Amino acid sequence: MHLRVSEGWWAALGAAGMSHERWRALPRTARRAVTTGVWLAILLVLIAFFGVWKTTALALAAVVALLVVPVWTRLPYGKFVVPLAALGLAVAYPYYFGSMPQVPIFGPFPQVSTMVVMMIFTMMALGLNFVVGYAGLLDLGYVAFYAMGAYMAGWFASSQFAHQKLDFGAVGLYEGWSGFHISLWLVLLMAGIATAIVGVLIGLPTLRLRGDYLAIVTLGFGEIMPQIARNGDSLFGTGFNLTNGTNGITPIDGPGFGNWAEQHLHLPANYLNAANFDSLYLWTAIVLVLITVFCSLRLRDSRLGRAWIAIREDETAAAAMGIPLMRTKTWAYATGAFFGGVAGAYYASYKSGAFPDDFFFNISVFILCMVILGGVGNIWGVIFGACFLAYLDREGLANVGAWFSDHLHRQIDVPKYEFGIFGAILVITMLFRPEGLIPSQRRAAEFHEGVHDEPLYDAETAGA
Amino acid sequence: MSKKVSLLAFVGVAAIVAAVVAGYSGVARSATQVTALPSSACGPIVYKGSGKPDFIIASDLPLQGAIRKQTVQISRAMIWALQQKGWKAGHWKIGYQSCDDSTAQAGGWDSAKCATNARLYASNTSVMAVVGTFNSGCAEIEVPILNRSHPGPVAMVSPANTYPGLTKKWAAGEPNKYYPTGRRNYARVVASDDFQGPADAMYTKSLGVTKVYVLNDRQVYGAGVAGTYAAAAKKLGLKVVGTAGWDAKQSSYESLAQHIKSSGAQAVFLGGIACNNGAKLMQDIKSVNPKIHLQMPDGFSDPNANGAVANGAYISVAGQPPQGLKGFGATFVKSFGKSIGATPNPYSAYGAQAMLVALQAVGLHGGDRAAVTRSIFGLRINNGVLGSFTINSSGDTSLTPITIYKQQGKILKPVKTLIPPASLIG
Amino acid sequence: MATNAAPVTSIAARRTVGSYAMPAIAALLVAALVLWLVINFTKGPAYFFTISFIGLTNGAVYALVALGYTLVYGILELINFAHGDVFMLAGLFSASMIDGVFGVTTHSSTGYLVLAIVGSLLVAMVACGLINATIERIAYRPLRSAPRLAPLITAIGMSFVLEDIAIGWKGPGYTAVPDVLPKGNVFSVSGVTYTWEKFIVVLITLPVLLALIWLVQRTRQGKAMRATAQDRDAAAMMGINVNRTISFTFLIAGALAGAGGLVYALYFGQIRYDTGFQLGLIAFTAAVLGGIGNLPGAVLGALSIGFIQAYNEGLNWHAPGSNWTQSIVFSILILILVFRPEGLLGERTPEGG
Repeated sequence: MHLRVSEGWWAALGAAGMSHERWRALPRTARRAVTTGVWLAILLVLIAFFGVWKTTALALAAVVALLVVPVWTRLPYGKFVVPLAALGLAVAYPYYFGSMPQVPIFGPFPQVSTMVVMMIFTMMALGLNFVVGYAGLLDLGYVAFYAMGAYMAGWFASSQFAHQKLDFGAVGLYEGWSGFHISLWLVLLMAGIATAIVGVLIGLPTLRLRGDYLAIVTLGFGEIMPQIARNGDSLFGTGFNLTNGTNGITPIDGPGFGNWAEQHLHLPANYLNAANFDSLYLWTAIVLVLITVFCSLRLRDSRLGRAWIAIREDETAAAAMGIPLMRTKTWAYATGAFFGGVAGAYYASYKSGAFPDDFFFNISVFILCMVILGGVGNIWGVIFGACFLAYLDREGLANVGAWFSDHLHRQIDVPKYEFGIFGAILVITMLFRPEGLIPSQRRAAEFHEGVHDEPLYDAETAGA
Repeated sequence: MSKKVSLLAFVGVAAIVAAVVAGYSGVARSATQVTALPSSACGPIVYKGSGKPDFIIASDLPLQGAIRKQTVQISRAMIWALQQKGWKAGHWKIGYQSCDDSTAQAGGWDSAKCATNARLYASNTSVMAVVGTFNSGCAEIEVPILNRSHPGPVAMVSPANTYPGLTKKWAAGEPNKYYPTGRRNYARVVASDDFQGPADAMYTKSLGVTKVYVLNDRQVYGAGVAGTYAAAAKKLGLKVVGTAGWDAKQSSYESLAQHIKSSGAQAVFLGGIACNNGAKLMQDIKSVNPKIHLQMPDGFSDPNANGAVANGAYISVAGQPPQGLKGFGATFVKSFGKSIGATPNPYSAYGAQAMLVALQAVGLHGGDRAAVTRSIFGLRINNGVLGSFTINSSGDTSLTPITIYKQQGKILKPVKTLIPPASLIG
Repeated sequence: MATNAAPVTSIAARRTVGSYAMPAIAALLVAALVLWLVINFTKGPAYFFTISFIGLTNGAVYALVALGYTLVYGILELINFAHGDVFMLAGLFSASMIDGVFGVTTHSSTGYLVLAIVGSLLVAMVACGLINATIERIAYRPLRSAPRLAPLITAIGMSFVLEDIAIGWKGPGYTAVPDVLPKGNVFSVSGVTYTWEKFIVVLITLPVLLALIWLVQRTRQGKAMRATAQDRDAAAMMGINVNRTISFTFLIAGALAGAGGLVYALYFGQIRYDTGFQLGLIAFTAAVLGGIGNLPGAVLGALSIGFIQAYNEGLNWHAPGSNWTQSIVFSILILILVFRPEGLLGERTPEGG
């Protein structure tokens, strides 16, 4: 069907004078310019008629065209242009997002607070990418790592253990404070390490299992963690309040650089007291994402990364080549857990609380959906998938619902069907484009040519 | 050649970015005097007075999910109260925005949304006070954020939070952990759970019961009120023969009901909310123990959610019954009741009262957030919707009656109003 | 030779200690469990039996769903996440049939009630069988050469889609089923009561199970299913149409889910869109406990889980209590998968024999 549409399209164009051969003979930059120009023009027309027009839409279109059309990779250091520009746009976002036009159906551009959540989920998705994307292990309990990270922040940056008093670099302590208050930067690191340890502990007995059993066991752990969190106000009946039960741990400190840094370096002393806390949290989140991307890139191209790819494609051959299976898989798990823990701790600080109701199975599937939709194993794909789906979850679906009720006069409560939509995305992606929207070439090949783990149906028995 | 292209390209990008930034700062600021809260969290400004409002009072309620009917009515009651005062607090004109702390996905309040909303109120200098929240868990998130805001802490007056730790010493570190600047900014017009549990225990004792089984739904509110009930029951000489939590997701509670039967309990207290599968729980308990007394807190205050199985059960709700309100309260029941075409939900009266408290405080000090917040503590309300009372220095109300109702069909019939003695509290 | 004798015995000694540790711990745990049950029994035999009947009935409902999981896994090695939600749709469907189509109330005559139940049962089984087979056709079959995790992910996606279909149809709240089963006891012996409701659950479940056994053991299609489950290539070489057999298996699994949904609706009285997920997890634990792919194992596992849940909440002497029920079920799942993945009765899959 895909072929027939494109054949028909080119036949029509050929009749108008531009045949497929003539098109391919044009220089690449010209082709890209025309394609991008046409898509941008369509978008601008849609915004003009159905969105809320602002002249900055033209500026936005110009920026996009400048990034997409020229083949930057031909220049020396050219491959950094687009990522750096994207980074610059992300960092400058709090300043210009108010003047962005409103897109039809999806409405206004996301608020800065939504951007912070998008960045946090990007970090989690990149963490899951190590497990699902690089090593090919299906992890359905990623929410357990998120929870662990959040509770680490809750234990060491709040007044949870009010019978102790420890201040180690924390900012924003109030009179009469109690509990462990360690500097949040340290807590982020501690959370990552602790979660990685928990990941290793969970992984040791379970990573020997086959793919689907691993999925179920991780799901089981993902369900047990919130139970422990919920019952943790009297752990095993001892009366020791570990997690404050269903109340959750709140409030949690924010990050900051202290009063000295504020006076001399003009850095914010305490994010929570600053007037532009959302922007501060955003910039810190971007830094965290950058660190994660850096680690992803380096690990992907390292020996460990290649070992992961080998295990993913053919475990038996990999073992025969001397790759220690259990250790390699455990490393994937631990790395994924580390970033999940850091992201969880940061999110808990942003929300100023760690609540057991925040951790449920759907979130694991949500993050999995980001990785699958974006492009399994491809960093940029995962970032795109994470940002898009987190936006949909926070604002997008509500905006779509509002658009439906305004323009189609149908009261469809779109956010209610959120997980059905994500489920449908999973099904459709798996059926038609399992490598995701922005695929890594290797994974695309694996999905379409098959790998040497037991396929579901043997090709020989097809229709026998 | 390629170097020139790249130089040109970088200059072009820089120019575009500069244009965008310039465009942003060049956008004319809106000419209205207040900055409205964004539509992603709140409804439009409601103001029916003359001219334009000077300040905003926002309400923070869960407007989605099963609780929707109650909270929408509360919001309308707040508008009614504002209208009664001529859309004014003192000589300042006040507009109202109804903000949502729930998400459709959660089906109720959402922690991230509560945090985001609180930050919106804190950063928007047009907001003078917040009336809300409905759920204590959401208040636990919002109060510290409002407490830290500049130029001064934003006052929050809640019509419905009953968790004691928000204003009194309860769990470790409470209540100070909600007030990081050391100054209070939170008050409520409803009695906290440490009154409700003892009132229920007093009533259970008055039924002649000696053995009681205490259940909780393992959430903030339910576990809290079950705890205070059990403590008061013990002080009153009732024997608590068992405590257990119920999981809302379970299909059947029959074995739990059998356990209750074997313990010999004559009454069972269901600390929790009805939407946590409360109806099925009651059905299973009653099918095994047909004669057992059911005692519930205000989480079960909607007879439609309870179902017919709760007929004859005793339900406590803080405050006087709507029919028992006098003076301005009776006016509220009549006038507001007429505008919605039904007897108001008990919480609507609280919503209106909370709005009146906020208006009184704003009326004293106008645009000075810190002063407005300070003036709430010790505020004396005369002839309010709930009567005459004072907000004490910790933010609690001096009105602590708890009314026990009996469910009869679709209505709750008030049976007794109790004021728990101090010996049973805490 | 003399030098060989010593090393052999020392190696054997080293193996003995390590390899007996795990079974020893398991035996200790089982013994402790049995002791706990016996103590509780002696403290109140009649009460023990009452709780046991609750566990038996719950276990019967879980068995219907667990059999569906195990059938599909046995033949495909696919955990069909969407199975629990097909069961949930069956429950909602049955609720509307009993209430809307047949219009049964508490005043209906017994004959009409039986007619309504049997009618709803047939319709639910057929409809869910078709739904399940359709899902297989559109969502799992095209992924024949994909890595094994692909259909698993698709199954998760389908599960959410079905849940939202339920939300769209009946809303996110509970759908109540009219309480039409007769009350009263079948028998009441020295404090032990056995209600009609529980008996009807067994009355519906038992014939379905017997029909399933007959189908799998005595018919040609059943033989084809068993053959395909044992060795897919050999079955294909013997002339069995593997695709058709797999579709048929999904049809049967869906029918079982349909029956399970009806029984659940009648017995527990309310269904919600996420009932399938919760029950599906329990049923899957039961299937794994008994031995995935193993039909009697699924029934055994389901009954065990039913008993464990009931005893945990109902018994008086040192029972962990309802707070811990879900954690216990999940811990069982994880422990079985990690330490004894073949379950109690052993696996029957294309690999496991």
